Amino acid sequence: MLAAVRTFAILGVEAREVLVEADVRNGLPSFALVGLPDAAVRESRERVRAALANSGFEFPQMRITANLAPADLRKAGPGFDLAIAAAVLAATKQLPEGALADVALAGELALDGSIRAVPGTLAMAEAASRAGARAIVVPAACGPEAALVAGCGIVPVERLEQLQRLGGEDEPPRPPALSPPPNGDGPVPDLADLRGQPALRRGLEVAAAGGHSLLVSGPPGAGKSMAARRLPSILPPLGPDEAIAAARVASACGRSVGPAVARRRPFRAPHHTVSTAGLIGGGNPPRPGEVTLAHQGVLFLDELPEFGRDTLEALRQPLEDGTVLLVRARYAIELPCRFQLIAAANPCPCGTGPRSGQCSCDPASVRAYEAKLTGALADRIDISMAVEQPDLSSFTEAGESSAAIRDRVLAARERQRARSRGDRANAQLTPAEIEIGAEIERMLADAGLAAGLSGRGRGRVIRLARTVADLDQAEAIEVAHVDEALTLRRRESR
Amino acid sequence: MSAGGPWAIERSSTDYPVCLTDLDPPEQPLLYGAGRRDAIAGLARDPVVTIVGARQASGYGLRVAERLGRDLAVAGVTVVSGMARGIDAAAHRGALLGGGATIAVLAGGPDNVYPPMNRALYREILGVGAVISEHPPGTEARKHQFPARNRIMAALGAVAVIVEAAQPSGSLITADLAAKLGRTVGAVPGQLGVRVAEGANDLIKEGAHLIRDARDVLDLLFGVGVEPGRPQLHAAPAPRAGPPLKAPLRAVVELVGGGAATVDRVALDGDLAPREAAVALARLERLGYVTADPFGRWGRTDLTPPDRAPGGRH
Repeated sequence: MLAAVRTFAILGVEAREVLVEADVRNGLPSFALVGLPDAAVRESRERVRAALANSGFEFPQMRITANLAPADLRKAGPGFDLAIAAAVLAATKQLPEGALADVALAGELALDGSIRAVPGTLAMAEAASRAGARAIVVPAACGPEAALVAGCGIVPVERLEQLQRLGGEDEPPRPPALSPPPNGDGPVPDLADLRGQPALRRGLEVAAAGGHSLLVSGPPGAGKSMAARRLPSILPPLGPDEAIAAARVASACGRSVGPAVARRRPFRAPHHTVSTAGLIGGGNPPRPGEVTLAHQGVLFLDELPEFGRDTLEALRQPLEDGTVLLVRARYAIELPCRFQLIAAANPCPCGTGPRSGQCSCDPASVRAYEAKLTGALADRIDISMAVEQPDLSSFTEAGESSAAIRDRVLAARERQRARSRGDRANAQLTPAEIEIGAEIERMLADAGLAAGLSGRGRGRVIRLARTVADLDQAEAIEVAHVDEALTLRRRESR
Repeated sequence: MSAGGPWAIERSSTDYPVCLTDLDPPEQPLLYGAGRRDAIAGLARDPVVTIVGARQASGYGLRVAERLGRDLAVAGVTVVSGMARGIDAAAHRGALLGGGATIAVLAGGPDNVYPPMNRALYREILGVGAVISEHPPGTEARKHQFPARNRIMAALGAVAVIVEAAQPSGSLITADLAAKLGRTVGAVPGQLGVRVAEGANDLIKEGAHLIRDARDVLDLLFGVGVEPGRPQLHAAPAPRAGPPLKAPLRAVVELVGGGAATVDRVALDGDLAPREAAVALARLERLGYVTADPFGRWGRTDLTPPDRAPGGRH
């Protein structure tokens, strides 16, 4: 008496197919689970035993062997429970003939036979659709999220006994796809809260319009992190594909999928004590890091120089490629991480700034601090600006609201889309892809001499100037656009 | 240029700097050095000025020290300092720019580059001047050797100029020692309320000479208005004049001032829209008047808008 059932394991944010085989035969009653299960998967036997008994099924008093194939892939988590139970039921003929034909299952069992949510059902449904499955059986709580995938049937189940209805007339119907939660799952903070700081507002607007990375430095209390947290409110909403990509990540990491469905860009602000694995992803089995959680959104690194040097160094490749490749002995997984980097820093460890004359830091620590900002990571930062604490007078007047700024950002993005006929923002273009007139060419050559503009810096200025021009709704890049870009650009250290 | 390695000068030698014999307790019988030995001999002939100041100096202080060093060197003055980070290094660099001899007094042996970050400066000093020390080659710079180093610096210069010094600091100790040895002490005034400017301002309050530029130092050396005795190769240059500036941009140059100005600060002080301020700063940077650091903090270069009086204050 042999049965095989399809399910999925989540590796990173992708689903890998796993076949659960159950062999039930006469012998001393036992339940062996093989195929590289981790502790949670091994305990699945006890849950399956109890859930079967508590749902009106019979747990066979026979020798049971369940195998998870491929046998060399490490299986983690309780998500295999439902498939193991289904395989045992099929092997003991307790389910109608053909109920499990062309069906994949995923879910965690409770002892009473109810089925609990598992992470990653969105990616699993996509994988099931790609594999040509008729339907995927998912916990009812995950149904709306899985139903975002159109390509295959979604069967939401609340209890184990509902498996008997699979393939029949009364199969649980496909749930409606997850709709955006009202209010987008909580309010988005508005830039109107930021008082004063006109340069920082302008920097954020340019960063949002062109997808540029930004470093803001200034004393504590200047509103650096407050402003950064409000960047998502002026970013364009996620496109349909981007929303699915963000939802897939959120689903695989067991986070709420609602904001992604509401087209909200993710915003992640890991603390500076974050480990490299926590930021980039890692561990065994590999888990996505903060950069992946920030996919299609914003990664905010407050107190940038306080992050570990190796951690920042590890950020460089993901920032460049938009993906993290985690290589393990038997497999490699690729995690998406196309994010916009926003960083904040105090001017020195004590916060007052070494050139203010008030600074109490010793020179060596200031040098070490500044070195963090001039390393390889800093080379990937487009905009750099210093801010001060706002004047008290500016506290009385509210700043421009996010909605107004976002209109300009959207108009600028629209120009970029029309021009590049693609979905790339200016920050992703090479300088050769941006047209500049002869006058601008001359001007940049002059600036190269006078203002110490390197080749890399030149490309950065051209990209920024294009974004400034787009915000002005200007067809061609003009001298004033380049001048503003020259001021905004991050300088190499002297 | 003397060939290669370190050398030593005995007290009995004619090259030995006479001014060091003023020291009490007396100086070591041997003075070790590296670089050009004739630069030491020159100490007896040429006017000597010691410039010292804070390691943790402001951008303003660094600019003043470099300009002082340069203009004094152009006027034929030997600039003595301690090669420390900040003001000391700026003074040496200025003297090298001005094409004059400069002497660094080190706390360790003459081959011990301290701080190591000034290695390039050390090599340049060896080329046209010398480093000297009371300690033989191979001696590490240790904390207790710095006060002794300050004594030597104080004794060598006919005038000691303090550019930025916190209260208390080694630079103030040098000023004190110089005063006790009967040397003239001058100080560059700094901004009120700024920590590294306190020491120098206190010195002025206590009667030190107020130093605004090299002219003020030369007045102390030779008397007001008297040119140095030896023929000058070229006249002391005015601050470098830049390309012509229209009035609005000229106003922005003044706003940037000495410190670490942000775009917001310039916009606010100049009553400009933020974008106007950003554009103005970029124009000025292209003309060479201002520059920004990797953080985006702006400061002035040594260019001065033209048609101001030459030798104008910076």
